[in-house]
Amino acid sequence: MIQLLTDHVQNAYHSLKSNRGRTLLTVLGIAIGIASVTCTLAISDGVRKMVDTQVSAFDGKLAVVRPGFKSHDPNQLVNPVTQQSFSTSTLTDADITALSKLPNVEAAVPLMTIEGTIHAQHATGPNSVVLATTPDFAKVSNITMLSGKFLDDTADNNTAVIGVQLAISLFDTDHPIGEAFTMRGQQFTVVGVLRQESAPINFNNVDLNNAVVVSFEQGKNFNQGRSQIQQIDLLAKESSSLSSVAKQAKSKLISQHQGEEDFSITSGKAITQPTGQLFQAMTGVMTAIAAISLIVGGIGIMNIMLVGVAERTREIGIRKAVGASQRAIVAQFLIESLIMSGFGGLIGYGFGYLSAFIVSIFLYFTPAFSWQTAGIALAMMIAVGLFFGLYPALKAARKDTIESLRQYH
Amino acid sequence: MPKTTTSTPVIQLTDLTKRYGFGDTAHKALNEVTLTIEKGEFIAVMGPSGCGKTTLLNVIGLLDRASEGDYDLDGKSVASLSGKQHARIRSSQIGIVFQSFNLIHRLNVLENVALPLTYSGIPHLKRLERASEILKTFHLQEREYYMPWQLSGGQMQRVAIARALVNNPSIILADEPTGNLDSRSSHVIMEELSQLHKQGNTIIMVTHNPNLTSYASRVITMLDGKIASDTSTMPDPTTPKKSVKVPLNQHAKRKEKAPKAVKSPRKKTRKAAK
Repeated sequence: MIQLLTDHVQNAYHSLKSNRGRTLLTVLGIAIGIASVTCTLAISDGVRKMVDTQVSAFDGKLAVVRPGFKSHDPNQLVNPVTQQSFSTSTLTDADITALSKLPNVEAAVPLMTIEGTIHAQHATGPNSVVLATTPDFAKVSNITMLSGKFLDDTADNNTAVIGVQLAISLFDTDHPIGEAFTMRGQQFTVVGVLRQESAPINFNNVDLNNAVVVSFEQGKNFNQGRSQIQQIDLLAKESSSLSSVAKQAKSKLISQHQGEEDFSITSGKAITQPTGQLFQAMTGVMTAIAAISLIVGGIGIMNIMLVGVAERTREIGIRKAVGASQRAIVAQFLIESLIMSGFGGLIGYGFGYLSAFIVSIFLYFTPAFSWQTAGIALAMMIAVGLFFGLYPALKAARKDTIESLRQYH
Repeated sequence: MPKTTTSTPVIQLTDLTKRYGFGDTAHKALNEVTLTIEKGEFIAVMGPSGCGKTTLLNVIGLLDRASEGDYDLDGKSVASLSGKQHARIRSSQIGIVFQSFNLIHRLNVLENVALPLTYSGIPHLKRLERASEILKTFHLQEREYYMPWQLSGGQMQRVAIARALVNNPSIILADEPTGNLDSRSSHVIMEELSQLHKQGNTIIMVTHNPNLTSYASRVITMLDGKIASDTSTMPDPTTPKKSVKVPLNQHAKRKEKAPKAVKSPRKKTRKAAK
């Protein structure tokens, strides 16, 4: 049996080699299909890995409180932030104070975003995100400074920290410490620049590379003196106490909100779930589109195999006359199509990652390798080879021996 | 019968019929053929075109199934066997030589000869070794790595015979093995076949050429799907040679292709079909 298998492989190799041109073109078709699938999956793996690493950087100590009723609909994909910018947040200043006083809570950090146009001396930053938060934000968001320092308790309301991209576009330098800009008629001094963040997609929903960070007090000033909290990041002292912290926070907030649970607390992987779901759906759609090219490649295999069977009708007759069973003929042609799809798959897998890395130059994240992607690529190439090779192989095996021998080529 | 043996005949056909088409268009390529072939016989099947010679050979070679009748190979009925078992018999017991050689052009001489061994599960190197040995007996050793199209017709047919023999089959079927060859190559091929016959192989050969029947031990003439005559040349030289008229001769006046072989003085009628 194994003997016959190696024979088939050798045989297929020879016959594919003797038709090098069309074999290569067929393999190319499969390679493109597998490459597009691999590329899509590799990029989505990259996104998932990135979000996961952000959360796991806090070692299971992080819980996020978001305003609004908790959505149980997993298909709610378009709005990962459960808070719309035009609605009033259900979280209040009193909630922050109450949460930070809970035992085992290291920090409760409110996040508030305002929009504003930034005017520097020579440039204007249109529609930048302005994040108003407390100094503890540095603890929960794992940020590092390129230069200067983050806002601290002693910081003036007129100081700001800006993202490195914004710094470059406003001041043509990534060290604009002491430079001034105006926003909403208020003058600010830059005290720090955030280091380039490779993760603009994060659980805070703020692209820190292009953000201005001001103090929470200043944020309230911009918002008619009222806070508009879109998220509270809750950092537990120990990862073991996270669940009890989340539970305490929940009961505390419910009692503060007159028994209404108009907020949601998520922790661990669930924090990334809205983002993760969005990307899963996107990946699904993109993979489906990529799979179409794989089907086209498969049809290419079937086409070429049918041509091969027609061309080698006489050979099939001879093989049957000297003792090949139908099964042996099926195996011979099936192995040929599997070799083609296999080669295509390997080349496509390589090209998929190559193109994923090329594409990632223009994106904020790098593709990740995962055994799931490799498994999907492998399964797909085998499935395509089997599925599209089966019909020609059966057709070959069912040919009438005498008729085939009569055929001249 | 050239050899009187009590053993079971190699091939036993009983009322074998092969029908093509249905109803009004039905045509019997073989019409109730009954034939017994013993081990070691060299049978030449003659007859005009369309008389069913090739169909007979195809049925014997298990390339085709009969519509009716029994075919016992080595005492076992073939009809009940599966396609897979047929393939196994073709690979182990039957060697077929074709008029058009039927070598695979992609493979060289050695690989062509080794081809039947592929389907009996013999390792690659051993196959080539065996093929090489066989080719040596056909004096084609120096042509081992030639491609089929680099050979002459006679050489190609010798390669085809070597391929038919590589599995040590008990039966060799030859469908007009010399049909595409000139008379010189034809005689070389016939010498090879008769050599095989002397070694004890059973050979069934379809031919149009009456001159070649002199190599055979038994000549069967077919007409319209039936056996018209069955003569056996006496291997024993002491038996008086006697010319026998065969009913077929009446037919020969009308049909141009009617074999003249039956006029051969060295033959005697063994059994004449109706």
